[in-house]
Amino acid sequence: MYDYLIIGAGICGTLIARDLSRYEAKTVVVDKESDVGNHATLANSAIVHSGHDPLEGTLKAKFAVEGNRLYHTLAKELDIPLRKTGGFLLANRQDDAKGLETLYRRAVANGVDSPSLLDASTAKEREPMLHDDIVAALDLPSTMVTYPWEVAIAAMQNAMKNGAALRLNYEVASIKRTEEGFVVTSADGDSLRTKVVINAAGTFADTIASMVEREVPYRITPSRGEYYVLDKLVDGFVERVLYPLPNNNGKGVLVVPQVHGNILLGPTNTHQTDKENVANHAEDLDKIKRDAARMAKDIPFDMTIRTFAGIRASSTYEDFYIEPSKEVPGFYHVAGIDSPGLTAAPAIAEHVVGKLLKVRESYPKKSSFDPYRRKKKAFHTLSDDEQRRLIEADPAHAYIVCKCERVTAAEVKAAVQGPLGSATVKGVKKRARAGSGLCQGGYCESEVLKVIAEVTGKKPHEIDYYRKNTPILKEETKVKR
Amino acid sequence: MTWDIVVIGGGAGGLSAALAAHEEDVRILVLEREAVLGGILNQCIHNGFGLHEFEEDLTGPEYADRFIAAFYEKGIDVYLGTTVMNMTKTKEGFSLEAFDKKAGKLAIEARAVILSSGCYERTRGQIRIPGERPAGVMTAGSAQRYLNIEGYLVGKEVFILGSGDIGLIMARRMTLEGANVKGVAEIMPHSNGLTRNIAQCLEDFDIPLYLSHTVTDIRGVDRLEGITIEEVDKDFRVIEGTKKDFAVDCLLLSVGLIPDTMVLESLDVKMHPKTKGPLVDHNFHTNVEGLFACGNALHVHDLVDDVTEESRRAARCAKEYVHGKIDKDGRKVEIHAGEGISYTVPSALTMSSFDRPVRCAFRVDRKADRAVFRLTQNNETIATKKARFVAPAEMEHVELGPKDLKDTTSPITLTMEVV
Ligand SMILES: Cc1cc2nc3c(=O)[nH]c(=O)nc-3n(C[C@H](O)[C@H](O)[C@H](O)COP(=O)(O)OP(=O)(O)OC[C@H]3O[C@@H](n4cnc5c(N)ncnc54)[C@H](O)[C@@H]3O)c2cc1C
Ligand SMILES: Cc1cc2nc3c(=O)[nH]c(=O)nc-3n(C[C@H](O)[C@H](O)[C@H](O)COP(=O)(O)OP(=O)(O)OC[C@H]3O[C@@H](n4cnc5c(N)ncnc54)[C@H](O)[C@@H]3O)c2cc1C
Repeated sequence: MYDYLIIGAGICGTLIARDLSRYEAKTVVVDKESDVGNHATLANSAIVHSGHDPLEGTLKAKFAVEGNRLYHTLAKELDIPLRKTGGFLLANRQDDAKGLETLYRRAVANGVDSPSLLDASTAKEREPMLHDDIVAALDLPSTMVTYPWEVAIAAMQNAMKNGAALRLNYEVASIKRTEEGFVVTSADGDSLRTKVVINAAGTFADTIASMVEREVPYRITPSRGEYYVLDKLVDGFVERVLYPLPNNNGKGVLVVPQVHGNILLGPTNTHQTDKENVANHAEDLDKIKRDAARMAKDIPFDMTIRTFAGIRASSTYEDFYIEPSKEVPGFYHVAGIDSPGLTAAPAIAEHVVGKLLKVRESYPKKSSFDPYRRKKKAFHTLSDDEQRRLIEADPAHAYIVCKCERVTAAEVKAAVQGPLGSATVKGVKKRARAGSGLCQGGYCESEVLKVIAEVTGKKPHEIDYYRKNTPILKEETKVKR
Repeated sequence: MTWDIVVIGGGAGGLSAALAAHEEDVRILVLEREAVLGGILNQCIHNGFGLHEFEEDLTGPEYADRFIAAFYEKGIDVYLGTTVMNMTKTKEGFSLEAFDKKAGKLAIEARAVILSSGCYERTRGQIRIPGERPAGVMTAGSAQRYLNIEGYLVGKEVFILGSGDIGLIMARRMTLEGANVKGVAEIMPHSNGLTRNIAQCLEDFDIPLYLSHTVTDIRGVDRLEGITIEEVDKDFRVIEGTKKDFAVDCLLLSVGLIPDTMVLESLDVKMHPKTKGPLVDHNFHTNVEGLFACGNALHVHDLVDDVTEESRRAARCAKEYVHGKIDKDGRKVEIHAGEGISYTVPSALTMSSFDRPVRCAFRVDRKADRAVFRLTQNNETIATKKARFVAPAEMEHVELGPKDLKDTTSPITLTMEVV
C-alpha cells in the first residue's frame, strides 16, 4: 500500500515525487512509457522563463516567477545544467509599440527580477544579430535555459535515492475507489494500492480524471509546437532567448540558445485532437522560418540537424488546474500544465506537497533525506589529467562512440547501467547525448547498439529504439562473419 | 617525437596518400578509428571499383585489400582503433588529440597533416521531411553498414528516398537479402546516381524510380508504418493530386554526403560553401599552413579511383611541403565556377609552385548530352575540352598547366556550354 501514487513521470510528477521523498511516506510514480520525461518534458523550448508573460494573478504567473528562482537551488542540488542566457522580448517596426510597455508593466506586477526597457541601439549592441526592424526590447535578465528531461531524470533519481519507487511501462487503465483509497490498475493488469492519487498525466490528465470523476472540471485541448534544431556549431549566434511580442496565439516563435550550444527555433502553436502525435508539418516549419526571420537576421537554417514537435497540455480552464477533486477525496489534479510548466514545476511541486497535500501534517520529515544528486561531468569537458586517470581505471573511456558529441563507450555504459539507466537507443541519447549531433546517429547508432548489447547481454536486434518492441534492426542475416 | 606527415583516416584516400608519401626519410603515421583499414570500401561489397586504377572490376573490399597489402609490405606506421578528436596549431606544425581503444589518450605531433576522414550522410533532419519520427527511418549508408558489416537487416518492406549511389546499391542489396523494395523517389528530374547503377540496381530488379517526387509524410508511432510521396514541379513545389501511399517498415535516405571535417573545429580552416570541405589550392593545401585534404573529406567523390588519384597528388604535395619545397602563401590565381559549373577543386593556383600541369576536378550543375568546358582568363579562352553525357552525379576533370595561363594574376573561370 502506497501513501501517494503519482500518475505521470514528466517534470511535474518527478519533482512532486522528490518533494514527497522528504517525508516518511511511501511514494510511487507510474508512467506508461519506458523512460521518464518522454512527453511534454522531452519536447519543449527548455526555457526557464522569467515569468513575464502570464496574466497577473494567475497561478502561471505566480509559479513561473517562483519556479525561476527555485531553479538555482535545483541546479545546485541536482547538478542540472542551467545557462543564464537572459532574454529579450522584441518589438518590430510593424508591432504596436504599446505592447512592449504593457508587458513591461506585467513583468513588474508579476515580480519578475529586474526587467527593463531598452532602445533599439542598446539592444543591438548586446545582440548584434537582431533584425534591423527591431525598434525596442524588453530585457528579461532572469531568463535561463535548462536541459528539461535531465531535470526529470535527476529529480527521479534523487527521489529514488530517498526511497520513492518508479514503475515504468505502467499505463493506468482504471482507477477503483476502495475504503482505504484507490486501486490503480495498468493495461497489463497489474494493480497498485494507494491512499492518494496525484494526476500529473499531462495531455491525458482529463482521461485519467474521468476514471474517477463524473464531471471533470476541465478538458485538455492539445496544442502542437514544432521546432528546428541547429547544430552546436552555431553557438554564439545569439546569447539570449529572443521572444517576439506575444499575440493571441501564444508566445510566438522564439530563438532559443540551448545549454549544449544548439539553437532551437520554434515553437508553433497549432491545435490538434490527438494527444500524442508529434508529427512535423510543412506549414508549421514554414511558419517558423518566416516568423523567426523577423527577429534575427541571417539565421543559419542551413545548420539544421533535426526537426521535432511537442504537445502542450493546454486546457479549457486556461490557468494551471492544481486542485483536489471536488468529487473524490484523495484524488488531486495537477492538470493543464502547458507553458510555462517547465519553469513552474519546482514551485508546483512545493505547492502540491506543502499546501495541497499538507504532507507535513500526516508524515514526519525524513531525517536521512539527501537533497543531492551528482552527475559525472561529460568526459570531453575534463582536464587532460582527469581524462587520463579515468582511462586508466576503465579503458572504455578511450573508446569514442559518438564523434559529433564526443561521447565515450564508458558514458554509454553509465547511461544504461546507472541509477534510472535506460537500455534503449533514445534513453542513451537522452542521458549521454550519443546521436544528438550533426550525423544524428548515422555513425554511432550501431556502436551504441553494440555497447547496450554488451552491457545487457542481449543481441543488437533485441535492443529497442525507445518503447517496448521497437527494435531498429529487423533480423539477423546469414552473412554474419 | 614529431611525425613528418600524419594521415587522418585509413580509407581509400588515406591509404593512397600514405603509400604515395612513403619514402626513406619521411616519417608517416596513419590514424584510423576503425579496427581495420579500408574505410567505407569495407561495406561496399558490390563490384564496380577499380575500373580505372586496375582496369578490373573489383568489389570494395578487394580494391581496399590491394592497397592494404602494399601498405603493410612497406611497413608504414598505423594506429587502428584511434579516433582523432581535435587538432591545434603548434610552432612545428600540429598537435593532434586522439583516443586509442587500447593505448588510451594520445598526443601526436606532426609537421604536416593530410585530412582524409571521409564523409558523413545527410540525415532526415537536414532535409526536413514532415511526419512522425518512428524507428525505421535511417540513412542508406547506415543500413549498408548494418547489413554488410554487422549482419542485420533493417527492414522488410522498403522505400528509398534519393537516387544517390548508396540508395541505388542498397535497393539491390536489400532485394537480394529478401526485402521488398517498393520504389525509389528522387526530387530532381534526373537521377543523382551513376548511370550504370540505375540499370544494374533498379531496372534489372523492376524497382520503380519516381523522378521529380519526394516523401511528404512519414507515419508510425513506434515503428514506421507508411510513407506518402508526391510529385513536385520544377521549383520543387508539391503538385496537388499526386499523392501515392506505400506501406513500408523502412525508409532509407540517400540524400547526399557531406565531408567530415569535424576534427578541424579548433582550426580556422576556410571552407568551400558548395563542397562543405576545406578550400584548397592546387597543392591540396588549405589556408592553414601544413594542412592538406583529399578524398571525401575534401569533396565527395563518386569513384574510388578518383579518390586514389587525388590522394596521391595531395600526398606528393605534403611531402614537398615537408621538404620545404612549397609555400602556402604568395600570389594566387583563383579558379571560379562559372555558368553550368557548381564547383571546382582546387579553387586557386598558388603561383610560386605552379610548375606542372594540375588536374582540376569539378561538377556540372545540369545534365547535357554534349558539352564544351571552357577555361577563360580575362574573357580569353585558355583551354577547352569536349565531353559527352555529363551530369551533376559524375565528377569531371580538366588539365591545366603553367603554359596555358595568359597572365599570372587574373582569375580563371570555368564554364560549360551545352552544344
Ligand atoms: C512545444 C512546447 C514548448 C514548451 N516550452 C516551454 C518552455 O520553454 N518553458 C516552460 O517553462 N515550459 C514550456 N512548455 C511547457 C512544459 O514543457 C510542460 O508544461 C511540462 O513539461 C509539463 O510537464 P508534465 O509533467 O505536466 O507533463 P508531461 O511531461 O507530458 O508528463 C506527463 C506524463 O504522463 C504520462 N501518462 C499519460 N497518461 C498516462 C497513463 N494513462 N498512465 C501512465 N502514465 C501516463 C505520460 O507518459 C507522460 O510521461 C512547453 C511545452 C510544449 C509542448
Ligand atoms: C556506399 C558507397 C558506394 C560506393 N560505390 C562505389 C562504386 O561502386 N565504385 C567506385 O569506384 N566508388 C564507389 N564509391 C566511392 C568511393 O568508394 C569512396 O568515395 C571512397 O572509398 C572514399 O574514400 P575516403 O578515404 O575518402 O573515405 P572513407 O573510405 O570514408 O575513409 C575515411 C576513413 O577515415 C576514418 N576516420 C574518420 N574520422 C576519423 C577520425 N577523426 N579519426 C580517425 N579516423 C577517422 C574513417 O573511419 C574511415 O575509415 C562508393 C562510396 C560509397 C559511400
